Amino acid sequence: MKRLMLILALFATLAALSLGFAQKSGGTLIAAWAQDPVGLDPQIASARSSLEVLENVVDKLVALDPQGKLVPSLATSWEVSSDGLTWTFHLRHDVKFSNGRPMTAQDVVYTYTRMLDPATGSGQKYLLGSTQTVTAPDPYTVEFHLKTPEVALPAHLAAQASVGIIAKESVDNGTINTQPIGTGPFMIADYEPGNQVVLKKNPYYWQKGLPYLDEVDIKIITDESVRQTSLISGDVDWAISVPPQSLSQLQNDPNIVVDKTTAGAYWYIGVNLKHKPLDDVRVRQAISYAINRKDITDAMTFGTGVPTQDPIPSSSAWAFNYAPYSYDPAKAKQLLTEAGYPDGFRMQIMPTTQYPESVRGAQVIQQELGQVGIKVTIKNLEWAQWLQEEGKGNYDTYVCSWNGLVDPYDFFYAQQRTGQVFNFTGYSNPKVDALLDQGNSAKGFDQRKAIYQQANKLIVDDAPYIYLYNPANIQAYQSYVKGYAARTDQNIDFVKTWLDK
Amino acid sequence: MSLRYLLQRLATLLLVLLGVSILTFAIIPLVPGSPARVMLGVQATDASVAALQHKMGLDRPLPVQYWSWLSGIVLHGEFGNSLINGKPISEQVRHRLPATLVLAFAALLIGLLIALPSGIISALRPGGARDLGVSVMSQIGVSIPDFWLGILLILVFAQYLRWLPSTGYAPISDGLWPYLKHIILPATTAGVISGSIMARFVRSAMLEVLGNDYVRTARAKGLGARRVIGKHVLRNAAITVVTIIGLQMATLLSSIVVVEIIFAWPGLGSMALNATLQRDYPVLQASVLLFATSFAVINLLTDLSYVLLDPSVEYA
Repeated sequence: MKRLMLILALFATLAALSLGFAQKSGGTLIAAWAQDPVGLDPQIASARSSLEVLENVVDKLVALDPQGKLVPSLATSWEVSSDGLTWTFHLRHDVKFSNGRPMTAQDVVYTYTRMLDPATGSGQKYLLGSTQTVTAPDPYTVEFHLKTPEVALPAHLAAQASVGIIAKESVDNGTINTQPIGTGPFMIADYEPGNQVVLKKNPYYWQKGLPYLDEVDIKIITDESVRQTSLISGDVDWAISVPPQSLSQLQNDPNIVVDKTTAGAYWYIGVNLKHKPLDDVRVRQAISYAINRKDITDAMTFGTGVPTQDPIPSSSAWAFNYAPYSYDPAKAKQLLTEAGYPDGFRMQIMPTTQYPESVRGAQVIQQELGQVGIKVTIKNLEWAQWLQEEGKGNYDTYVCSWNGLVDPYDFFYAQQRTGQVFNFTGYSNPKVDALLDQGNSAKGFDQRKAIYQQANKLIVDDAPYIYLYNPANIQAYQSYVKGYAARTDQNIDFVKTWLDK
Repeated sequence: MSLRYLLQRLATLLLVLLGVSILTFAIIPLVPGSPARVMLGVQATDASVAALQHKMGLDRPLPVQYWSWLSGIVLHGEFGNSLINGKPISEQVRHRLPATLVLAFAALLIGLLIALPSGIISALRPGGARDLGVSVMSQIGVSIPDFWLGILLILVFAQYLRWLPSTGYAPISDGLWPYLKHIILPATTAGVISGSIMARFVRSAMLEVLGNDYVRTARAKGLGARRVIGKHVLRNAAITVVTIIGLQMATLLSSIVVVEIIFAWPGLGSMALNATLQRDYPVLQASVLLFATSFAVINLLTDLSYVLLDPSVEYA
């Protein structure tokens, strides 16, 4: 009798365990996106809405696990030469594109050569750093030949779908912008611009048994309150972002899961150092003292963001939490007087309607700077016009964000180093340049962290960017959607998602 | 009506469309912002912008671009490809036109279902209680912003009552009931506002006709109210009503653009708005041309319908 009971108990436990871990294959996930993808060519498309689709369609050599550590993906291992100028990646042998063709090193060479080619017009090639050429000594080995050493190259090759490997066929037959062919868990079955993107399971996907879903129907619902309603009413299973004002309502809904994590991102005021009096560091510091970051963050994120004075979020292993400023309008006025502006001056701030939070933030900033005599006019532009003005330097200050950042290089290099592609402010500090270059080649976490700490201090003190807050990455979905987790690098990853219904 | 008249009207229509296309081609590139920058986003460098603009053919002189576009339409019936995603615009138009048409007709139907009865009821006893009631309702209807009404309907019928879907378009291949279910809310949003505006015009038209001598004559002859209204009044008011519908189509179509955005309705309106925001010039030009064509055709049809409705109208 006892033995029978034991056997029954064993079976019951096994049954219970298998029920708990039984991912169900199949089904279609209906996902709501906030914006239409702006083209789907991974090497040109910069819009987050495009990259979020592409993350499920292309794979990269290296990937980031949910904790932000580098793990193998298409490459199983990698090493760098002693002079730091040649990176070698060893590829998996069993990878196939979604059209059935096996992937080899030649495809990697093709992808990155196209990215480096100026005629392609890629805005993302800065991720390849100082890479001059990419070669394939054998079908499963790729070599990157760099001009100057770059410790962070593997981290960049894991950054976002822009560095995903594509098949030459999609460029040759002209469909690279609507149906790029990659090795990812899904392939693009249909793309109706402005309406939906249909992803179907990649039958040749190299991770066996994955993905669980047969299909992901991405619906573009631009109005955030309608997106929220679609989620609550069950018309969609998953929503990419919901109005932060409604978070508590959604959190109290037993059928909805609100998935919140810190994002590797920051919002900031960009200052045009070519416009007087913003070229004077005391004026910029005065602005930094005159604003109340907590108020601005509350207005912009309804409490979900974390105010900050330096860019790297506290949750990151690289966080410095350097905070020399405080909300001190008296000190701000004092600095302005020292700089020769006791009665303040006139200044323009440029938010964009594309991001309503930037408009709210600009209004609070206008009000707070007004208290110290800085008369701010708000130039609120729609996205295409904002990009034009920002690209041409026609602004005093603007409000924007950087997203998808992981390595400290991402937070500083392209934006603050002299002459780099995204140095829009015109900031140039030789000490910072030297430190950032050093950070590229220094080895070891502790050594790099010490270098970036110094760079961080100099940049925050010089205030070409006045950092405001680190946003949260918030997604919401039905409780039967399993195997999905919001990520710090803000990638949307459906590879292990399944539907418990 | 002579064939000559018809041909003259068609020739004028084509000239108008040509003029519209030249105007849009000239004006649109003047708007700040470029599709190359929209694609590259914040990460645009002058070099990559130039490279992309070259790929998009935007560095050619404007007359060359216009000629290439025009010959594409006239010779091949093709609108070209989207600059942003490279897809053929004709294909997008083919998919989206039925969606906008069905929304427009459904909205017009709902609008007429509101306007005709209310207009007639209030005209029969002007100044009475019913007239006042209709007046108030139509005033409210005219003042409501379309996006507000749309979101309100979604909240009530999709979120709270769960009777209807919140967004989207179901093709008729999915079944008749799903097809209708998706149309109801967006069509009602556009239709209520349009109907409220039309109700007032129907009322004035009816009042004017009712005040005419021949109506008094008919009544004096002893004809019953139903016959007076049915046979004489309605037929004569029809001309004004048809004019009103023709004029209202313009407002209705612009309302539909907003409705399409709210309800994520894949029609030409949302296509036009996205093209504007993304500076997708060829898509925008195609949209403007299509809207201009539809206005011109509606105009023509309205004029031609007078011949059917009023035998005294003649076009030489």
